Amino acid sequence: MDIETADTYPGDARAADVWVIVPAFNEARVISTVVRELRSAFAHVVCVDDGSRDGTADVALAAGAHVVTHPVNLGQGAAIQTGVEYARSQSGAGVFATFDADGQHRVSDVVRMVERLRRGDVDIVIGTRFAAEGATHTPLLKRVILRAAAWLSPASRRLGLTDSHNGLRVFNRRVADNLALTMSGMSHAGEFISLIDENHWRVTEQPVEILYTDYSMSKGQPLLNGVNIVFDGFLRGRMRR
Amino acid sequence: MNWIQVLLISAVLALLVYLLRSRTNAKAKAWVKVGYLLFVIAAVYAVLRPDDTTVVANWLGVDRGADLLTYALVIAFVFTTLSTYLRFKELELRYARLARAVALQSARTPER
Repeated sequence: MDIETADTYPGDARAADVWVIVPAFNEARVISTVVRELRSAFAHVVCVDDGSRDGTADVALAAGAHVVTHPVNLGQGAAIQTGVEYARSQSGAGVFATFDADGQHRVSDVVRMVERLRRGDVDIVIGTRFAAEGATHTPLLKRVILRAAAWLSPASRRLGLTDSHNGLRVFNRRVADNLALTMSGMSHAGEFISLIDENHWRVTEQPVEILYTDYSMSKGQPLLNGVNIVFDGFLRGRMRR
Repeated sequence: MNWIQVLLISAVLALLVYLLRSRTNAKAKAWVKVGYLLFVIAAVYAVLRPDDTTVVANWLGVDRGADLLTYALVIAFVFTTLSTYLRFKELELRYARLARAVALQSARTPER
């Protein structure tokens, strides 16, 4: 097991039991930076290359990530599920985090979320960009739609969550072992919330900052995709699993 | 309200309930086959005696048999579309699981 001594973050957050899952599709331009930053704080990073055609897998491997490659493009939900299945099969894995590959998240937020999880009173910590003290400047239209999405989901309302489509999540073994995402595309975020509700996982939110760079904005999902997400949410549960 | 309206609306609702409940078990499959058989018999009869569809249509408050067939066609089309959509979703899920198994078998670990 490779535990590096260069510890840029205090505390035991870099302990070897943390696995960060990074789903990536055609992110060769930025994946190296993202993986290196994560590896400065966490020992294990697994990059799930979702059938990229630009060499994302090789770049991520060179940057020090474990790489699992989908033979075809399946979507972010499928990639997260694959990453979790890989990570939970590794010996000593106890804490799992999902982290978007486009550089919109901050590693320091994950470190704080891992510390929060280690207090032991919750099973999963979800990032929210809408906390009162959060300084994130979410574009107005995006903010309105994301808030509406959180409000439209009964599970999300019941759990008191404000940002159901945040890509930053940190969770323990209990969640990882039982996670079974079936929505391959972008609807997995809502499905994740439903699973939390159905399995009675203890959940809390933590304010995080989203870095809306030109790059991450260009890679982000179009807002119209929200229609698909709402529709898929209604059909969930009608599918055989 | 016309009888045809009651019939069409309850058909839509019944289809919805049927679709939203667990499908693809052996019983549901058998009923689909029975339904198909009835459909074929009715179709043959309608072809042989086209004017009778108008009689049935009149019972239901529709003027022409052709109109009745159009309504039935619309319902059948909606049903097919929805069940195909759900079927595709299911196939996608299996396909994702297959791809995942392949991906996990050929995972690469970093050197350090």
